[in-house]
Amino acid sequence: MELFFQTLLNGLLQSGLYALVASGLALAVGVVGIVNFAHGEFLMIGAFLAWALSTFLGVDPLVSLPFAALAVFGVGALTYRVSIRHVLLAPELNQMLLTFGLGILLQNLALIWLGGNTRTVTTPYQGSSLSLGELSVGGPKAVAFGLAVLILVALYGVLYRTTLGRQMRAVAQNRRGSQLIGIDVDRVYLLAFGLSCALAAVAGVLVATLLFASPTVGLVFALKAFAIIVMAGLGNLTGVLWASVVLGVSEALVQTYVPGGGGWSDAVFFLLIFVTLVYRSYRGAR
Amino acid sequence: MEGRALDGSRAVVRRPDVPLRSLLPLGLFFLLALAFPFLPLGERAEYLMQIAFFTLVAGVLALSWDILARSGQVSLAHAAFYGLGAYGFALLGKVMPWFLAMPAAALLAGLISLVLGAVTMRLSGMYFAIATLAFTEVVRTIIQNLPEGAAGGANGLLVPALLGGNARAQYFLAFGILLLTALVSLAIRRSRLHHAFAAIRQGEETARVLGVSVVKYKLLAFFISSVLAALGGVLYAGKTFFINPLETFSLANSIAPLTTSIFGGLYTTLGPILGATVLRVAEEVLHNAIKNGYLVVYGLVLMLSILWLPRGLMGLLRRGKRGGDV
Repeated sequence: MELFFQTLLNGLLQSGLYALVASGLALAVGVVGIVNFAHGEFLMIGAFLAWALSTFLGVDPLVSLPFAALAVFGVGALTYRVSIRHVLLAPELNQMLLTFGLGILLQNLALIWLGGNTRTVTTPYQGSSLSLGELSVGGPKAVAFGLAVLILVALYGVLYRTTLGRQMRAVAQNRRGSQLIGIDVDRVYLLAFGLSCALAAVAGVLVATLLFASPTVGLVFALKAFAIIVMAGLGNLTGVLWASVVLGVSEALVQTYVPGGGGWSDAVFFLLIFVTLVYRSYRGAR
Repeated sequence: MEGRALDGSRAVVRRPDVPLRSLLPLGLFFLLALAFPFLPLGERAEYLMQIAFFTLVAGVLALSWDILARSGQVSLAHAAFYGLGAYGFALLGKVMPWFLAMPAAALLAGLISLVLGAVTMRLSGMYFAIATLAFTEVVRTIIQNLPEGAAGGANGLLVPALLGGNARAQYFLAFGILLLTALVSLAIRRSRLHHAFAAIRQGEETARVLGVSVVKYKLLAFFISSVLAALGGVLYAGKTFFINPLETFSLANSIAPLTTSIFGGLYTTLGPILGATVLRVAEEVLHNAIKNGYLVVYGLVLMLSILWLPRGLMGLLRRGKRGGDV
């Protein structure tokens, strides 16, 4: 029984990170209407920023977090201006392939520049652990989870309590209607896309402390984020939270209870995508 | 032009005509490819032959991807079928001669593609893309996690060399398979399939209303495309005689055919082959200059094509005149 609860706890902690990546992606999909296949690469940029600041300047990743977020917000906004903006009215396929191309470009630029090795960030609290009764939690994991929760609360606060958030949700619901009542849609898109990238970068900083930074680290997180937003329903921002928990916990269960589960848990997200997509499409909804 | 011919019953559907003149560039390409091994290549002949071999394989992959795309299914699972072909050949090659293992591996991949096609049947756009991307990752995960005795696990697998490792013979085999792919593509272009695929691509509901059996044609596109992609995988495995899951099922193998087709010109026979030639050579040149990240060219070309060259090289060639898609 103790093992079961430990597994649940591990899954829950992992889902905080997933929710962070996925809510960024959901923002891009829901508000801007762009399926950003380069989302994982923005995460990768965040991870490398954390690594670089920690290795060269000795800045703790948790301190560099806001800087990474801000920097990648800028990169995202720039990306929107020079590329995404020009395909907003193009067929969905073109948008998808454009971001896909962007992802490959960023990933390979990182490979050229930094090489394919993984780089780890060392922090003083790396080996620490917290114990909750019978259960124990790694320090960095707990910190990452706490931060993720904090940032998600802030994000949903912005989305539901501020003018900008209302504008974003209005644009998500109806682009033309928002334009008619005087919302500057282009500005909202820019901010939403930038914010989406910044969220990926924050997740990237956490990934750097928990795992490592490498040019390809983003892909698997992006795939899982896709699984999550597909489960939640495209553009459904609140659904992202429970879908992340479903993914995190089911991965943890597979890791614990399936023999040789470490390798198989990477396939869980696929199963969830499939089950949801098939269920949705046969129920008749899009 | 496309799709409009589908307004009637079966009898009314005319066979689309392909003007012979437009086949000329394609014929020229194959003549050049046929002559290539006989050119005085100098001391780097072995290396050049290898590049030429993989250019042909890239052509097979791109054109087979394009055949699937014609039915509106933009797949990111091409690496999966390429890889299944490679693994199928590696495993079957142990128990049967290569000329049997080759079609058997292709058939196996084709059958598996029917499963994926059936499951993703009602998905479109990004849902389809994500599902196919995930499929590739899972096939890789499965092969990686199977016991090592079964498929080599993460370490990979030795493959019997095709045709005893004779470079020239291997080249002609690849040439034959690309020719086969091109012939299949042209046959589709000349048959009712062309109209059916185009109708499904331009509006699945409409196609259904017009009486196109969408399920049948979408699955058929999947099957044809995957069998051909798997043949490409067999060539790859037989040439490198060592395969591992990470490289074989690499995302790059899904990206390359997609980018190549878009860059060359979607829904044409010449376009993907032309695109493969240009991009593969560019990749090779870049690969010599930098070890990591030479795929950067695919990202750049994909973005630039989408933004400025939506009809690809073929669009440039055909600018101003209206010819048939070949």
